[in-house]
This record gives sequence, structure tokens and C-alpha cells, in this order.
Amino acid sequence: MEFVKQYLIPRLVQYFLVMFVGITAVFILPRLAPSDPVERTITQLRSQGSYLDPGTMDEFIEDLTEMYGLGGSWLEQYGAFWQRLFHADFGVSFFQFPTPVNELIRTALPWTAALLLTTTVLSWVGGNLVGGLAGYFNRKRWSKFLDTVVMIIRPLPYYIMSFALLLLFAYVVRWFPVSGGTDIGRRAAFNWPFIKDVLRHAFLPALSLVILGGAIWFQTMKLIVQNVNAEAFVQYAKLGGVKEGRIVSRYVIRNAMLPQITGLALALGQIFSGALITEIVFSYPGLGTLLYNAIITGDYNLIMGITVISIVAITTAVLLIDLLYPLFDPRVRYA
Amino acid sequence: MRKTVFTVWLVLVVASLILAACGTPEVVEKPVEVTRIVVETQIVEGAPVEVTKVVKEVVTQEVVVTATPVPKEEAPDVLGLPRNEMFIAGQLTGRVGTPSNFNEWVGWKWRDRGMQNLANEPLWSVDFATGQIVPGLAAGDAVYNADFTEVTIPLRKGVAWDDGTPFTSADVVFTIETLIKYEGLNSHNFMVDNVVSVTAPDDYTVVFKLKQSNSRFHTTFLDRWGSTWIMPKHIFEKVADPVTFEFNPFVGTGPYKLHSFDPNGYWTIWEKRADWDKSPTGIIFGEPKPKYVVFQAFANEGAKILAQLTHSLDAVDLSAEGLKAALAQGETNRAYQPTFPWVVNNDPALTGLTFNTAKAPYDNPDVRWALLLAIDIVEYEGQAVDGTGTLSPVHVPSLGSYPADYIEPMQQWLSDFTLDLGNGETFKPYDTDAPKRLVVYVKDRGYVVSEEAVMVAKTFGLGWYKYAPDVAAKLLEKNGFSKNADGKWLLPDGTPWKVEVMSRSDMSHLEFKNAAAAVQQWKKFGIDAAHVPSDNVSALTGNGEFDVAGNWPAQEPWGAGADLYRVLDYYNSAYIEPVGTLTKAHTSRWSTPEMDDVIKRLRETDPANTAEVIAIGTEGLKLLVKEMPGIPTFGYIGFVSWDQTYWTNWPGSENPYNQPYTHWGPFKYMTPFLEPTGN
Amino acid sequence: MKVFRDLLRDYRFMWSFGVLCALLFVSFLTIFAPDDPTLWGVVPRDMKPSWSYLLGTSSKGQDVFWQAAFAVRNSLIIALIAGVVSRVIAVLVGMVAGYKRGRTDTVLMFIADCFLVIPLFLIIVMLAMLVREQMNLVTMGLLLAFFGWAWDARVIRSQILSLREREFTQTAVLSGTRTLPLVLKEYMPFSTPLVFSTLINNMSWAIGMEITLAILGLVDMDVPTLGTMLQWAISYQAMLLGYWWWILTPIALSVLLFVALYWLSVSISEYLDPRTRIQRVGA
Repeated sequence: MEFVKQYLIPRLVQYFLVMFVGITAVFILPRLAPSDPVERTITQLRSQGSYLDPGTMDEFIEDLTEMYGLGGSWLEQYGAFWQRLFHADFGVSFFQFPTPVNELIRTALPWTAALLLTTTVLSWVGGNLVGGLAGYFNRKRWSKFLDTVVMIIRPLPYYIMSFALLLLFAYVVRWFPVSGGTDIGRRAAFNWPFIKDVLRHAFLPALSLVILGGAIWFQTMKLIVQNVNAEAFVQYAKLGGVKEGRIVSRYVIRNAMLPQITGLALALGQIFSGALITEIVFSYPGLGTLLYNAIITGDYNLIMGITVISIVAITTAVLLIDLLYPLFDPRVRYA
Repeated sequence: MRKTVFTVWLVLVVASLILAACGTPEVVEKPVEVTRIVVETQIVEGAPVEVTKVVKEVVTQEVVVTATPVPKEEAPDVLGLPRNEMFIAGQLTGRVGTPSNFNEWVGWKWRDRGMQNLANEPLWSVDFATGQIVPGLAAGDAVYNADFTEVTIPLRKGVAWDDGTPFTSADVVFTIETLIKYEGLNSHNFMVDNVVSVTAPDDYTVVFKLKQSNSRFHTTFLDRWGSTWIMPKHIFEKVADPVTFEFNPFVGTGPYKLHSFDPNGYWTIWEKRADWDKSPTGIIFGEPKPKYVVFQAFANEGAKILAQLTHSLDAVDLSAEGLKAALAQGETNRAYQPTFPWVVNNDPALTGLTFNTAKAPYDNPDVRWALLLAIDIVEYEGQAVDGTGTLSPVHVPSLGSYPADYIEPMQQWLSDFTLDLGNGETFKPYDTDAPKRLVVYVKDRGYVVSEEAVMVAKTFGLGWYKYAPDVAAKLLEKNGFSKNADGKWLLPDGTPWKVEVMSRSDMSHLEFKNAAAAVQQWKKFGIDAAHVPSDNVSALTGNGEFDVAGNWPAQEPWGAGADLYRVLDYYNSAYIEPVGTLTKAHTSRWSTPEMDDVIKRLRETDPANTAEVIAIGTEGLKLLVKEMPGIPTFGYIGFVSWDQTYWTNWPGSENPYNQPYTHWGPFKYMTPFLEPTGN
Repeated sequence: MKVFRDLLRDYRFMWSFGVLCALLFVSFLTIFAPDDPTLWGVVPRDMKPSWSYLLGTSSKGQDVFWQAAFAVRNSLIIALIAGVVSRVIAVLVGMVAGYKRGRTDTVLMFIADCFLVIPLFLIIVMLAMLVREQMNLVTMGLLLAFFGWAWDARVIRSQILSLREREFTQTAVLSGTRTLPLVLKEYMPFSTPLVFSTLINNMSWAIGMEITLAILGLVDMDVPTLGTMLQWAISYQAMLLGYWWWILTPIALSVLLFVALYWLSVSISEYLDPRTRIQRVGA
């Protein structure tokens, strides 16, 4: 009861408050830009080669303003936005008029979620495991070798690393396709050829993400484990004759993992911002390019749609971690 | 540890060396088949109607080309569709944001994914390679009455929509009425402003009555990368709200119909209609050869090049360096021109710089001219595009019929054109030797290029302006500018002169390249110049919040026919908005009463009266040269790369039967001439 | 001095210190650079490395060596500002929140979450559009700093939360140690490795972020940094055209810089922690 009153309630209040502040900030920010979406649509149309008759420009601007729902004041738009939000409706995209934002997100989300969920978990588990072992056995030669390899790989600019992978595995040896989420002409269906196709196309993007993510987790974990290694209770366990395997898993890694769990939660929460560079290098469908294009074209509704999801995901992840942390580390108490 | 570091580096270096240029491709002379399209005028039922007839002449010419070995590769099928019957093109405008929405009458729907270039036939199309206006759904020219308040358009017989329904004048009437009725449609305001009524005296004629005299009304249906399209009445009349109607699948009168598309917007597949002979393309040019055409989008240029090198992309638009890389790495690749400069140089647009004439000191024509004379155009073009651009001293590009109609006749006037330097001195800035100096640069770079006068004029232009920084200095000093001790220029009020040249942030775009090159030249001249790339540049320049920008110095001309109304009307004073509001026409916000008068007279001239049109157009161009609201540098350069593994007989510069792009409308007229290689 | 000599016994410190000194020296060399690094066409283009052009020249007509020198200097400036400023904020916030708990913790974590949650990309692109004169190095560094502390503050806080429940904390509190000395003297040795590793993380994140922004064209492309150098090479298709000297230079420099920072942090933190120092140096 104490826990609920003293910790849970304030924490939940904070949870909702952060979401509210975040969403409001994202509502205001794009509107601070010097040009509005109507202007940007017109200039985009022009730059795509459309010849807009100068004589009728005024009326065209009026029509667009009305269609986009940008007629009222900011407060009115804000109110309308929250009203729509409670029906889980984010409105229609401006630049991709009249496609509803929900539809755009619905098409792109599965790709991003599947790719990033898999790679985040894989790289976290893999990186931490290998990093932990390397940290425990840090005197061995294989550990030092791995450390050097990871140390070289990690600072490689991600764009270069992924493009190099593409060059090597899609051109020099033709094992994987050059671009896309699926082959041209493939229709989505729940059969093996489709799944195989998706996996084939996702392999290189996933590989590049796992390499990068894994390298970061590896290094952090190794450092932490080296530290835990030096703790008294580990020395005691060794002297006491506890089996090495048990020391590594139950004593060392379990303790070292704690800060990493926070990292995992945050990484999972950030999935919904998409992986922009990955999508650019591999022409992979996803939320990253959707969001970036939305920002460039001043597509308020689409920006709101994606970032609201992202904000909710991150705050929820952080909340869950905070609440579940005592389960992982019994020493932590909130009362 | 050190060994590992070294080995990793070695691997990287070796990997990139493997990919290093395989050396310049061999250059040989070989016979080339040339396809010619002959336009014949046939007298049909009392009224002369131009009918374009196809005559395929096999003329053997000895042309210098890069050697292309015969490719031997088994064609992998694409999902059950045979690769050797499929033509894959790169989509210029990138990933489609609205994949399931083909309603081109609202907003922007990525119409180059096959809609404008395969499935839709406009009334007329511009083909800038041949300089012809090709009638599609129309059967001939638009005919105006004496005071341009009524126009009659004859329609083509024997055309059907791809679901079999015949095309008639009822479709046109329905389209106009719908456009007038619904506000959300793109052409709504234009039609409301111009059209009183539209009637169809018979199934194949349409008559418009206009609200006021408008001699160029019909150009709204002239497709030059966009126009007003005709809706299929039998589909749209059942629709409650045409603004939100998705029009999926797209139904058009072109020779291809929609096969399938990617819900994520990366590819669209089109299939040849069984009744292709009921589309204007089939009627005029014959049966299209590829059975399937795919438009594919890529998110970065490296992927495009790799796709082409693995023979899964037949035609694609690249950047200058991308084309270089594709030609170096791919044995079966070719560019538009068989040798240097390789680039597409007949795209009817002119690049350069635009001044904001609403802002001091760029409101002063002397200052603008000084900035022009401070540019060494050879160095400028070298830095921007490695010397591959065609120079133009006036505000139309030096291609198609424009040199013959405008630039050559103006040579004398240009040579005589004099600037007044204020202190009693005068200066003649025109330089007919500029193209020759460009040739010297190009040869220095190691490229092989013909030095015949005709070829030099075609490739590098007829002339430009001298590089005269001392004259520029005098012009500036005449207007109160001065130099400080460091050699940097100061404004008349004594403050340092800072110029910000804006452009979009895409580094391969010609706006970016022009802006970057200009900054280099002006820095050398002693002005504190900076290049400011920004994603927001269109809005900023539209609002007049800039100094100089890499925007095109003039609106793009039609590319076919001699009429310059499209270019000159963009300087109409009626369209200029105060700074801070989006201007409706050219971002330079320049206008003069003389130009307004030229525009008015041109508007009142029948576009078919070529001699008069050219005379007035020339006057307009002279005004632009005097005032220089924007600096014209070189014509738009397109970089297309073609892979000859599966398809040949491309419309290259030695065989220009059609314009070279797959994203322009006339691509559908290219399809009957592409030859499969049989791989 | 003795500390320094002790540190030098660790080959990793020796190597990384040497490399960093070399990089800093190269950065200072930029004072003597022959040309304005934003000018194009000052040297012949696309030349391979030779005695006159140590690292060759680029397609823009610039000497790769001098461009690299400026790039190292500018990227270091950005990374240092971003890393150091965000460390200071993260450590302060994390430690205070972790130790004090209660309302202070809630408020501080609320602020941290707000920063975490607002998408960084949106802010930077918006700012890039608002700030017309493009971002200079210091602004970029500060911007990255303001968005780089929230995550690490939470990580540090988690560690402090664990440490707080340990016996030595109870001991110290019972013996009357006040908060600040407690935090600094007792917790810092535990946190320092974490702080250092997050510093390295943050600096390499800052450099990576800078490279990403350069690839998207949101920074002043004329100012040479590791990111802009890389993007120019990519956009001019240096990889496919075989200009390996132009594209490998920024990559190699990034790797060198990172490895040096990493080894530096590892060796210093091992030295600072008395237990590992004894294990290692044997002193």
C-alpha cells in the first residue's frame, strides 16, 4: 500500500504528464517553422514539375488551407487534434492527400517493427552474452581479439558499413537482392515463398543493424563485467569453489545485466522512430523515411501520428522498466 | 591487435580497388541503325489534318560509340513474368507515397510511375527531341476564333479506354464539368476562371467558349510533364466525391494498363493492353514491344547503380558521378550520347542563378551584371558539371529549335550589346569564344571531343559572356561599392558585402551545383559569399527571403514550337506578391512595364503565327539580357544510363527518334521502337 | 607525474595517448593550411596519393590531407563539446536523482523523460530550417549535448540506486558522512568507468549523429568535418569510381579517433579503480 501511494501513483502521474508534454511539444514545434504546409505543398508541386497557373494561385491556396483543416487558430486545431486522438484518428496526410495517416502508418509499421524488434533483441542478447563472457575471460587471447575487432567495427560510419555490405553481398557475390522489402510483383500472403522472400530481403539490413547494435552492447557489457569481476563476492565464490559456469551466469552476468536492461527498454521504445539510414541504403520500407519526408514537407498530421506512437512507446517502456526494476535487482526498494 | 587492425584496413582497401574503374571503355566507330519518324500531312474530309506516320528507315551511319560487347546472361524471371519481355525503369520521383491512389486530378500522385508515361494519353504531348507536338487524343491543332474566345478541338477516332469503353467527346465534356464543379481538383480554379461552357457538336469534336480572350487556353491540355487529363466518364460519373476517389485501378487510353503495385510504393507493374491498337500510341506508332513495364523506386543512388550492374534495371536517371560510375563499372551500359559528354543535353530547361530583385543591392541591374562578369564560366561549368553543359547567353536553353529561331538571329545584337560603366567607358560583354574555351578545358581533362564548329555549337553552345572582373569592379564602383584593405567588397553604406546563395540540399541537383560554383567564383572576386543549402528553399525563395538562389533563371519553355509565352508570362507584374507572401510566378520578382507590354502583345498573337511569335519573343529575350534578373548558365543536364542486356535501339543522340527519358509522357511512344535482344 | 608514468606502463594508454596527441597536432597544423578549406578547385582533381599530395585529391579539387586535418579538428570540437557538457549534466542529474530519490528523483526523471521522448530528429530538422545561417560547430555540439544526457542520466541513476542499498553506504551514512562527499568519494570510483564508457558512447554518438546529419544535408556542407567529407565522397560515388583515398580517409580517421578514445577511457578507468589498478600495474 505504501508502495502504491508513495511511488506508483506519482510515477503514473509522471507517465501521463510526460506524454502530454511531449505530444504538445511535437504539436507546437512544426508550426513554428517559417512556412506553412500549404506553401510547402505548392512549392513541392512546382518542384516536381507541375505547372501551377499563376492566375489562380490565390484560390488554390484557399482551397488547400480548407482541405488540410488549417483554417482555425492553433488552439482550435489543438482541440480538434485531441478530439480525433480519442477516436485513434490522426487525420489525413497533407502531402499524400487524401490518404489517412492511419493507413500510411499501418502499411509501414509492420516492416519497421519486425525488423527493429528482431535486431534489437538479437543484438542485445548476443552482444551482452559475448561481451559478458569476454569481460569475464578478459585475459584470454580470444577475448582481446574480439575486443579489437569490435573496436574497429563500431566507429565505422553506419552508412558506409551498410553500403559496403550491400556491395559485397548483392553485387560482388549475388547472394542477396539489391533493394526493397520484397521482390517486384510479390503480393503479401501468408505462405512460405512470401516469408522466404521477406527474410531474404531483410537479411542485409538486419545484419547491419545487429552488427552495429551488438558492437555497442558488447563493449558496454564487457566494461561492466570487468568491474563486477573485481567485486569481493565474486572472489569469494571463486575461493569457495563454486563452479565457474555458475559464477559466470548467476553471479557475474546477472549483476552486470542490470544497467543493460534499462538500455534495452529504451532501445525497444525507440523502435517507432524507424531506422532512417537503413531504409535509405537498402530502399527498405518503414517509418523512418515516412517521418523524415513528413518533416520536410511540413505534414503536420503525419508527424503527429508517428511521433505520438513513438512517445507512447518510449514512455511506456521507461515506466515498465522503473516498475519492474526491483524484480531484477532485489536490493532496490522504492519505499 | 595491430595485425588485426592492419588486416581489416587491407581488406577494405582491396575491396575498393576491386571495384576501381576497369579503365575507360574502348571507343570505336561502328554502323548504327537510325529510326526516323516522318510527319505527313494528309487531307482528310476537307480539312487538313496532320497525321504522324512512322517510317522506319534503316540508315547506316558511321558513328563514334563506345564498344559494347554482346551480353550473355540467362534472364532470371521476375515472379513468373519473363524478364526478357519486361522493361524495368527507375522511377525518378522516388518512393510513391500514395500507392493505391491513382487519382491524378487531386494533389500529387507520383504520376511518373507509369500513369503519365504509359497509361494516360493527353490531347497533345511535347517531344523535345524531335521538337514536335504529338497529337494524342486530339486529332489535330486547336482552332481559335478571331478574338480567341472560342476554341474547337478535333478528337481522334477509334480510341478506347483500357476496359474497352470507347473514348468520345462526352468524356472531355464530363471532365471539364467535373473540374468546374469540385473545388479540391487541381485544375478547378483555372477552368472556373476561363470556361463559360463546353459542348460537343458530335462524338469527336469539342467546342469551348471562354470567359475572356485567351490564346493559349488549349495549352492546359498540352502535356509537358503534366497537363489536364481527361477522365473516363463511365467510371467517374458513378463516384460520389471525385476528390477522395482513389481511382484504383487506373483506367486510361494509353497502350498499357495497370497490372499490380507495391503497397509500400517501391514498384508499379504495367501490362500491355490486348487491344493496344485502340490507343493513340498503337494507332500512330504501332505495337509496343515490352509486354510488361515496371517502374521501381530506390532510396539511394548506390542501389540504383548496383541494380543496373546486376542487370535488373534497364533505364535509370542518375547524377553526374553516378553515371560516370555506371559507365565505368558496367560493360553493357551506355549513356545518351555515345561519347563525351554522355549527358542528355536536350532537356528543355535552363539552369543558372536567380536574383531577388526585391532586395538591395540586387535590385540594381548594374550590380547583377557585375556579378555575372565576375564569373569565369569555364571554371564555373568545370566545377559544377565537369564541362558537360551547353551554354546559353539568353533565357532559353540552346537546344531544339531555339538556337535557329532565337539565339542565332540574336548573335549580332548580342555582340553589339554594350554596358555603360559610368566613367565614360563602355564594354561589350558578349563572347563568341566561350564555347571554344570550354573545349580547351574538356580536352585538358582528358576527354575526346569533336572540334567541328557545328558539333561545338551543339554541345557547348553559341556563346556566353566574357570573364571580366575588372569591368565588374568598375560597374560596382560606379554604384558606390568599394573595396577594403583586405580586398573584400563593401556595400555603398560601408558594411561588408555578404552574399548568401541558397539552393536545395540535394547535392546532385543542378540548383546545388550552380549555387556552389557561383559561391566559389564570387569568393575569388572578393565577396564574402556563402552557399546555404536548405530543404526549405522553395518556401524561402517563394517568399522573397533570399539574396541569390540556384533556381532556374527563367521558367522552362515548352521544348517544341517557337512560342515563348510560357517563359515570358512568368515575369508578368500581375503575379508578383509583396515580400513575405508566396509569389505566384518567378521568384526573382522582376518586372518592367516594357516586359508587361511584350507579354500582352504575345498573348494577343495566334501561337500558329510563327514569325510574329518569334519577333515578339526575341524582344522579350532582349529585355531580359539588359536587366539580367537571373543569370542563365547552361542547359539542364540529364544523366540517363541504359543497360543494353535486354533491350536495344535506344533513342540516343545519334538516333533521336524520341526524347530519352522514361519518366516523360512520350516514353509510351518509345515503346514500339525498343528492340528485345533475345536474352 | 608518477600517475602519468604509471599510466604509460599500460600499452593501451601509451598508444591512444600518442594517437590523440598526433590528431591534436594535425588539428593545430590547420593554422598553417595553405588554402581556405571551403574553396574548391585549388588543386588538380582525382589525383592518387603522391609526394605532393600526401593523401591524394578529391573530385572537388581539394587536398584530402588538409581537408582531413580540418575535419579532425572540427569533429573533435563538436564531439568534445557534446560529450563533456552532456556528461556534466548526466552525472549531476543521475547521481542526485539516484541518491535523493523521492520527489527530487521524480522531478528530475520527469525532465529527463521529456527530453528522451521528444524525437531528436524533428528538433534538429526544425532548427536547421529555422536557423538560416546553418549551424556552426559550437551550436551543433551544444544541441547534441542537450539531447544526449537523458539516457545516460538514467543509466547512472540505476547504478546509484543499486549502490545506495549496499552496506558501505549504510556504514558511511551512519558514521555521519554528508551527501556530497559520500556521493563523490564513495560512488565515483564505481561510476567512473560507467561515466567514461558513456562519455565514449556519447562522443562517438555525436560523431555518428554529425555524419548522419551531413548525409541528410542538414549541416553546412562547405565546412569540413568527418561527416561532410564522407558525404561528399559518397555523393561523388568515390567507392564505385575507385577513389579509395578519398573515402577511406574519413573512415580511417573515425576509427582511429574512436579507438584512441576507447582505449584512453578504458586504461584511465582501470587505473582509477584501485582494485583493478593493483591487479594490472602491480604497484
